[in-house]
Amino acid sequence: MADAKDDAQKDGAQRRTHTLLDRRKLLAGGALLGSAGAAMAGGAAEVRGTTIRNGQIWRPGEADYPEDATGAKGYRFFTGAEAAFVEPASERMIPSDDLGPGAIEAGVPVFIDRQLAGPFGRGDHFYLGGPWPQGLETQGYQTRYTPADLYRAAIPAIERWVGGQFSGRGFKSLGGADQDKVLTALEGGDAKLKGVSAKAFWGLFIENVIEGFFADPIYGGNRDMVGWKLIGFPGARYDYREWVGRHSERYPLPPVGLKGRPAWDRA
Amino acid sequence: MTRSRLALALVCAAFAGGLLFAGATLSQSATEAPPQDAAGRADGGLSVEQLLARTTPPNTPNRDQVERGRQLVIAGDCAACHTKAGGAPFAGSRPIRTPFGVIYSPNITSDHMKHWSADQFYRALHRGLDDDGHHLYPAFPYTYFVHVTRADSDAMLAYLRTTPAVAAKRPANALPFPLNIRGVLVVWNALFFHPKPLQTPAGKSAAWARGQYLVEGPGHCGACHTPKNMLGADETSKAYQGGVLDNWEAPNLTADARTGLGAWSVDDIVEYLKTGRNARAQAGGPMAEVVSASTSMLPDPDLRAIAVYLKDRPAAAPNAGGDPDRAAMARGEAIWQDTCSACHLQSGEGQARFFPPMRGNQGVQQGDPTNVVRVILEGVRTAPTPTRPTPLSMPSYAWKLTDREIADVATYVRNAWGNKAAPVGADKVASLRRKLDLIRPPLSSWSKVDQR
Ligand code: HEC
Ligand code: HEC
Ligand code: HEC
Repeated sequence: MADAKDDAQKDGAQRRTHTLLDRRKLLAGGALLGSAGAAMAGGAAEVRGTTIRNGQIWRPGEADYPEDATGAKGYRFFTGAEAAFVEPASERMIPSDDLGPGAIEAGVPVFIDRQLAGPFGRGDHFYLGGPWPQGLETQGYQTRYTPADLYRAAIPAIERWVGGQFSGRGFKSLGGADQDKVLTALEGGDAKLKGVSAKAFWGLFIENVIEGFFADPIYGGNRDMVGWKLIGFPGARYDYREWVGRHSERYPLPPVGLKGRPAWDRA
Repeated sequence: MTRSRLALALVCAAFAGGLLFAGATLSQSATEAPPQDAAGRADGGLSVEQLLARTTPPNTPNRDQVERGRQLVIAGDCAACHTKAGGAPFAGSRPIRTPFGVIYSPNITSDHMKHWSADQFYRALHRGLDDDGHHLYPAFPYTYFVHVTRADSDAMLAYLRTTPAVAAKRPANALPFPLNIRGVLVVWNALFFHPKPLQTPAGKSAAWARGQYLVEGPGHCGACHTPKNMLGADETSKAYQGGVLDNWEAPNLTADARTGLGAWSVDDIVEYLKTGRNARAQAGGPMAEVVSASTSMLPDPDLRAIAVYLKDRPAAAPNAGGDPDRAAMARGEAIWQDTCSACHLQSGEGQARFFPPMRGNQGVQQGDPTNVVRVILEGVRTAPTPTRPTPLSMPSYAWKLTDREIADVATYVRNAWGNKAAPVGADKVASLRRKLDLIRPPLSSWSKVDQR
């Protein structure tokens, strides 16, 4: 989700900077005038410094923690028909093989499902109002759909297109080579979908599959930290001061998620 | 009434009164702390710290006396108990929770104190009586204030009479019968209130004597740091060996090297009291309040005097240590590496004055593990002070770790890197979690549930 979100934010930030700049200029001008006035009044203005203590609000026992997405069974957002596309498609991108478990076993579809059912799916953090000119490729997420709406609209359109290409069959029933053809057509924009942009959907989907494989397991994917084990990422740790000076050594600690790791409970 | 019946009545009353004392004096819970925010009070008035930091204007009639009174009121930490969260300084109404009910502190701004004579005020500090001669509960620490000299008592009153007048009335105490009858305190005083004038042994320095006065008198440090007997009075034979208060533990301040201040230098103690931190520990919980509203504003020579006196307490270590289970230590180490080492480091050395070291930390090796468990459950914040205004905090882990996991990591912290203290059981964590109302299903418990 990162790219699309970032772009939308950057876009908003840019717009905000314009107005801010204007206001800042005005303020700076005002401040200059003000101090000149004070100086002319014979230095009557008093400058005081204040030390602000205790600025951060802190309350014992308070924590802002993520919701655990792993507990409940089944899908919250996907219909059976949608899952019949998302599951095999993500598995095709990250298959189970001798390197380890693939997307389904890692919980990638569950991760995407939980994300689409929540604030991300609703596009709470996107600017989704008009105007709607054709965006540039470098501008990231450029559609009037929320992410949830995009999945909802794109999957049936893909299945219709697949049906047209493969004599009425669904994506799930295709062989691996044909599934790859479909995915390649989506990626390259060769699949002309009705009402939605194949490329827009593909950009979001591949992003979400990668996130599902590498996000903290608490969000439903990366089950048993399989993604992190694969690449040797140590997980939700955030300080490596003690290792900064130790070169050419293997980092000894296994990955850990927000919910811990097996050694917390063994023995 | 026969002699024996009278004796029985005395004991019953004393028992009730004593427990009341224990709970009351010591119940200064963090959640009810007065605001420590110089950014201001809810109504935009001065905060306690801002008011206390104001020197007396030069044209005040009895300026020298008022100025000395200000310093003494700071030393007595009067503001902490007599200011409610977000309220005007000294206007009272802070709920002081006891196991039996709530006592509200009275208004001691000029609005109320202008009616008091110097004699009445001195009598309150020395005998625990209000202006009408009624007994005050020992939640008001007159057992320590009894050592305040007459000149200092007069100076305190002179200062309080300059404080911004606030016409505030405290709510009625919520105490059950018979504790709501102040007469009970006659009995308690008869049993436990036998003040002896402070004596400075020959050969002690002037700083020592000043320290003794501040610690035993206005500073009332023993009110928290000295253990209480079953009736809630100080166990004077165990002075400063560590006391329990409202789900906190005020640690051992004797010279014991492992659990007390034996390894601390005079400078270490001064730095802790002045800035809220030193290279060994950081002040949190009730001590954060003491530091913010009192010791951080005391003049350096007074802090040095307190340190000199404290360093001269004979060593006593009530904690015998224990033999932790190897499996618990292994689990605790894993949790430490993953959850705590980011700030306190794998080596337990921390980052001096930012993240306290655990290696050799006397606070974590107390006989009573309450503080270690408590800070893991609800987090803790270092006192903000004029010299170190930015408070650092440790996050709460009640949402993340199970009782057993917290017990394991607490056991580990108390026994790794050469530390030594009794292991902690999950039942201790469960009971504290209940008392602090932090009951929630910890996230890590999910890892035991099949996810499909
Ligand atoms: C540990 C908390 C605590 C501290 C510290 C404390 N007080 Fe109090 N004080 C109380 C409580 C509680 C009462 C009311 C007791 C009662 O109602 O019996 C009280 C009562 C009083 C009274 C009686 C007022 C009246 O109207 O009856 C005076 C005067 C007073 N305090 C002054 C001070 C001064 C001066 C200091 C600092 C040197 C101080 N207090 C420090 C808790 C505290
Ligand atoms: C309201 C109760 C209370 C009072 C009054 C009090 N303390 Fe404390 N003190 C505590 C608690 C609780 C701690 C533990 C704080 C922590 O671990 O963050 C503590 C910690 C300390 C420590 C650090 C000990 C260590 O091992 O880390 C010192 C030193 C200390 N207090 C000195 C004093 C002095 C000196 C006074 C009197 C001026 C005083 N205290 C008054 C409750 C109190
Ligand atoms: C984000 C940084 C951070 C993390 C992570 C952290 N702490 Fe802390 N810890 C602090 C700070 C800051 C303090 C000092 C607060 C105070 O006592 O005033 C502290 C204080 C403590 C204390 C009290 C020490 C004393 O001197 O009173 C203990 C015990 C402790 N931490 C244990 C732990 C354990 C166990 C964990 C892991 C479960 C942990 N900490 C994780 C920052 C952290």
